[in-house]
Amino acid sequence: MRVLLVEDDDLIGCGIEAGLRQAGFTVDWARDGHKAGLALDTTAYALVLLDLGLPRVSGMELLKRLRDSGKDVPVLVLTARGTVVDRVGGLEAGADDYLGKPFDLTELIARCRALLRRAQGRSVEQIRYQDLTVNPAAQTVEVGTTRVPLTSREWAILLQLLTNQGIPQSRSRLEESLYGWQEEIESNAIEVHVSNLRKKLGAKLIKTVRNIGYVVEKE
Amino acid sequence: MMGASIRRRLVLLVLTSIALVWGVALVSSYRQATREVAEWEEARLAELAQILALLDQPNLTTLANARIDVREEEKGGEPGANDRDDDDALPRDALFQVRGPNGAVLAGSPQLHELKAWDLPVPAVSGTQDITLGGQMYHSFTLRDTALGHTVRVFEPANTRSDLVSGVASRIARPTLVALPVLAVLVWFSIGWSLAPLRLLSRAIRARDVNRLEPVDIGRAPTEVRPLVDAINLLLSRLLHSLERERAFTADAAHELKTPLAAIKVQAQVALAETETARQRLAMERVVQGVDRSARLAEQLLLLARLDVHEKISTAPLKPATVAKDALLANERNAQQKDIHVTLLGDLRAEIDAEPVLIGILLDNLLDNAIKYGHAGGSIEVAVQHAQDRVQVTVRDDGPGVEAGDLDRLTNRFFRATGNQATGSGLGLSIVARIAEHFGASLHLGKGIGERGLAVEVSFPAYAQAS
Repeated sequence: MRVLLVEDDDLIGCGIEAGLRQAGFTVDWARDGHKAGLALDTTAYALVLLDLGLPRVSGMELLKRLRDSGKDVPVLVLTARGTVVDRVGGLEAGADDYLGKPFDLTELIARCRALLRRAQGRSVEQIRYQDLTVNPAAQTVEVGTTRVPLTSREWAILLQLLTNQGIPQSRSRLEESLYGWQEEIESNAIEVHVSNLRKKLGAKLIKTVRNIGYVVEKE
Repeated sequence: MMGASIRRRLVLLVLTSIALVWGVALVSSYRQATREVAEWEEARLAELAQILALLDQPNLTTLANARIDVREEEKGGEPGANDRDDDDALPRDALFQVRGPNGAVLAGSPQLHELKAWDLPVPAVSGTQDITLGGQMYHSFTLRDTALGHTVRVFEPANTRSDLVSGVASRIARPTLVALPVLAVLVWFSIGWSLAPLRLLSRAIRARDVNRLEPVDIGRAPTEVRPLVDAINLLLSRLLHSLERERAFTADAAHELKTPLAAIKVQAQVALAETETARQRLAMERVVQGVDRSARLAEQLLLLARLDVHEKISTAPLKPATVAKDALLANERNAQQKDIHVTLLGDLRAEIDAEPVLIGILLDNLLDNAIKYGHAGGSIEVAVQHAQDRVQVTVRDDGPGVEAGDLDRLTNRFFRATGNQATGSGLGLSIVARIAEHFGASLHLGKGIGERGLAVEVSFPAYAQAS
């Protein structure tokens, strides 16, 4: 799950980044509105965490621009200006949720998960697919009642496919959800991870779509 | 004790003025009436004398033995009615004496014998004369008749307390005495009515509270009240402005205080959840950084609040260069870490009238900014210049500088220039500006060393030796 963090404060930014990484997210961190705008234009994010008091392009302006361009990526607004007027203004400009500083990191992550769930049309955290039980919050996968250990890359690919059932995911799309800005993309890595997943969870789960990529069919 | 009232004072002043004018008018009318009555009585006496001059001896003798009552006016009235008003002290019988051409007495009132006035010498000319007979003042009139050669003398007791005069006076005074209370009531209500806009204004002001500070409107105010309404509205608008500024400042301050707190909390939670020791350590170090930042921010906010109180700060002559040396020492480590070279130059003996701790804070903030936002390996100049009656203290760097559009906003509280990565509260330069203002110095922002970076020039009035 690749998320964009837009925050100008160094200390808060690196804290949230570390917290989201611990929770299994892939994080890109933009320090001003301009860089955030560029990132949103070029990458498909599952979620945006947006601080409103940004240099160059303000958070509110960025949010309006994002919605005007027709993108419906969920946006969680973070700000120290927590008055009712600010909150209402933020929500009306297109934010999906609002969290006032100082916030609890566990709450932030729980809200991120809730927003993602809603965007994927789920109401419970657990994803059940045939005999598979996937818990994104605990980062666990069970086949029947047996827990199967996965690497973080394998986990991310599985989640991307399971949350987009019936929609073939191209290799580059999967790579995008896997690697942040700072990370080097390994060639052939996707194929390796997919074959490992097939070994661990059964060969029929992930199907290859020729010349496009991979898909998990709708149940 | 009752407070001063415009209404009471006005009523009192108006009524006193009216009473005074009326009093003066009354006294002068009384005098006028007295004079008129005296003239009238004199004329009557002269008439009587002319009648007597035409009478022959038998008639005169008859008349002398009868009495001539000059108060004929009373006889027509109701009996006793006039006695009440009548304050004439004496009988008002006129006495007379008529002498023939040879000076012999032809006839005379017998009372003249009692008054020892029978043989009184006759004045040589006709006319009035006041004489005292038997202890009583008498008006007398002498007429020398050329046709018959008679000399007529008429005496009448002087009317010292004429009821005619007192009657006229009381008739003038009575309506005045009735009018005064009526006037008082009318004046009282007119003044009350005229003061209504003031009552309206006070009601309008009483209805205000801190959350309702829009201008007072009492409709068409009279010209005397208009300036008051205008002054109050001016005060209200200033109050509103300063309240808004205060609210904005509080909101900004809350925002700035929450940011480092959020950072501390996030980093602490990351440290708690982290299993790898090196990453946990890093997060804990960041917690400490966050606490330092909060502490510095709180310190700066307190300093600004103290500077805003406008308390009188005692000043003494000091050399900015000496204070700058201390600031340089305090920031030496930070400068060395970024390999920045700091130099102090200019007139090191120049003096200003200020307070050393605050000037220290001013220079410390400027140096801290220059180091924080300057390039690594760059240089900073601290210059003190004495020109005429000003001492300029300038801190220049050769860092990235500030975009022209941001220069004006640089001293605004909590403003942080675009694109800067260094941690800061955005309060440093507003503190510098407040301290400069406190000592009558002006602040100028411009280009730094070699047209690069930023220069902050603080121009103080030079300390003038007592002359």
